[in-house]
Amino acid sequence: MADLLFTEFLKLKRSSMFLISLLGSAVAPFVVVIATFIHEPATPFQDLFYNVNLYTVLIIGVPLYGVVTTYLFNREYTENTLKNLLTIPVSRVSFIISKTLLLFLWIMMLSIIAWGLTLFLGMLTQFDGLSSSLLLDSLKQFSTGGILLFVLSTPIILVTLVTKNYVPTIIFTVVITLINVMAGNSEHRGLFPWAAAGDISNQTLPPTYPVEYSYIIIATTALIGFISMFVYFKKTDIH
Amino acid sequence: MFQISEIIKTTNLTKVYGQQKSVDHLNITVNQGEIYGFLGRNGAGKTTTIRMLLGLIKPTSGQIELFGENLFKNHKGILRRIGSMVEVPGFYENLTARENLLINAKIIGVHKKNAIEEALEIVDLHHETKKLVGKYSLGMKQRLGIARALLHYPELLILDEPTNGLDPIGIKEMRNLIQSLAKERNITIFVSSHILSEIEQLADHMGIIHEGKLLEEIAFESLRKRNRKYLEFQVSNDNKAAMLLESHFGISDYEVHDEGNIRVYSHLGSQGKLNKVFVENDIDVLKIKVSEDNLEDYFAKLVGGGAIG
Ligand SMILES: Nc1ncnc2c1ncn2[C@@H]1O[C@H](COP(=O)(O)OP(=O)(O)OP(=O)(O)O)[C@@H](O)[C@H]1O
Ligand SMILES: [Mg+2]
Repeated sequence: MADLLFTEFLKLKRSSMFLISLLGSAVAPFVVVIATFIHEPATPFQDLFYNVNLYTVLIIGVPLYGVVTTYLFNREYTENTLKNLLTIPVSRVSFIISKTLLLFLWIMMLSIIAWGLTLFLGMLTQFDGLSSSLLLDSLKQFSTGGILLFVLSTPIILVTLVTKNYVPTIIFTVVITLINVMAGNSEHRGLFPWAAAGDISNQTLPPTYPVEYSYIIIATTALIGFISMFVYFKKTDIH
Repeated sequence: MFQISEIIKTTNLTKVYGQQKSVDHLNITVNQGEIYGFLGRNGAGKTTTIRMLLGLIKPTSGQIELFGENLFKNHKGILRRIGSMVEVPGFYENLTARENLLINAKIIGVHKKNAIEEALEIVDLHHETKKLVGKYSLGMKQRLGIARALLHYPELLILDEPTNGLDPIGIKEMRNLIQSLAKERNITIFVSSHILSEIEQLADHMGIIHEGKLLEEIAFESLRKRNRKYLEFQVSNDNKAAMLLESHFGISDYEVHDEGNIRVYSHLGSQGKLNKVFVENDIDVLKIKVSEDNLEDYFAKLVGGGAIG
């Protein structure tokens, strides 16, 4: 598996997707920090983190990580390399696991970058209220958001594997984002896995339902996606 | 006793897509050391067969044995002994040839230090150190595909139309390469093509697939033996000539082709005698030819209609 993961990294050499995803993750920190600096420079540092994480998890994250997911899996189809891998042979299970592992690292990296950039830009524009406990808490918020979005990426991987195309994945993730936005003020939003992920990471889950409900819904969504993508990929013909 | 081992053996191998039987009860046998040409027109089912041999698609029914083992029982162990190239080889276009091969070497666990260098040298790509594969020409990619297939010293090479898109010189080089691999490394080679002459020059055995079915499996040696020689006369009056053949010589094994061409399959070497009788009976003999039945015609007959190639 270590060798397989190494090759996954090698495949990213000179890849523009890496840079594009970095830019994507930088959008929320820039917009939030600069807009706040212009309109309400007295805002506490904590709110910067809160807002950036909110936008990252609820708005930017799902489509951005969706595109990364599609890139990782889909390029083996578009560049016609999957048949080589599977005949060397790489087992279909190892293939999915190594890709998923890389996706995890990638999502976490982008989450941490969003966090670091918020910190850097916030310090540059001299917001108040930075403390070591805030640093730790916010880092926890960002990583929780990243982990939850990673866990919830299994249905998106499934869509990618089945359709082998960017368009359906993008539509799927945009629909998710749209629901996130529409559910933003609803007391029931804890029942929608992606919205719940945002609330859990920022600790703002509405008290309408027990928190376990949200966890169970997220876990179920992830598990169904996980099992279906394995079953599908194990069985499918590679053309 | 000397025993020939079967490297590839399929039994009633079938793949159905919807209503269509793309591969239909295919029984092929490839023995060790052979260069086996798998000939068929576009859409005959060559690639579908190869994909099944490599475990990329699952057969609807039938069995595959490779190296005497059931493919589905020891999928991983068997595939390690095979090098393959299916249709156009795909590469990570943002990487160099070496980096692409490194991916395979890492995964397979090729530890020999200069294996990559050696594979690139075989296909003459070792000078391209900086160029990204995305910038390669079709022929270069095809050669790199061969290098990649050879990287782990396979015992069996499965190549799907390896000369596709190559120019005449490239085709010749590919042919020489395949033949030398068979000879020097003792690799069994299964190679598909839709061009008869190519298979004829390259392979020693051949299977012909048409609409998913195996029409014939034969060694070229026996095929050439079986291809009968004949005498061909071009005459001014083929009716009269035919009558003379029957009445004068008792020949019934002949065919009349268009525009006064008569092929006589017996009495080879007696063209002088036959000619004399024709001329004595006021038939002009415009041409006499001693020849072999053309392979192309033979295949055209076999697949019923348009020739292969
Ligand atoms: N995924 C698929 N779905 C449906 N039909 C398919 C599929 N793949 C192949 N076929 C059909 O199976 C038949 C055989 O196709 P195949 O690709 O094996 O032919 P081939 O002999 O390799 O032809 P070519 O010389 O053009 O490469 C064709 O009629 C093709 O349309
Ligand atoms: Mg084909």
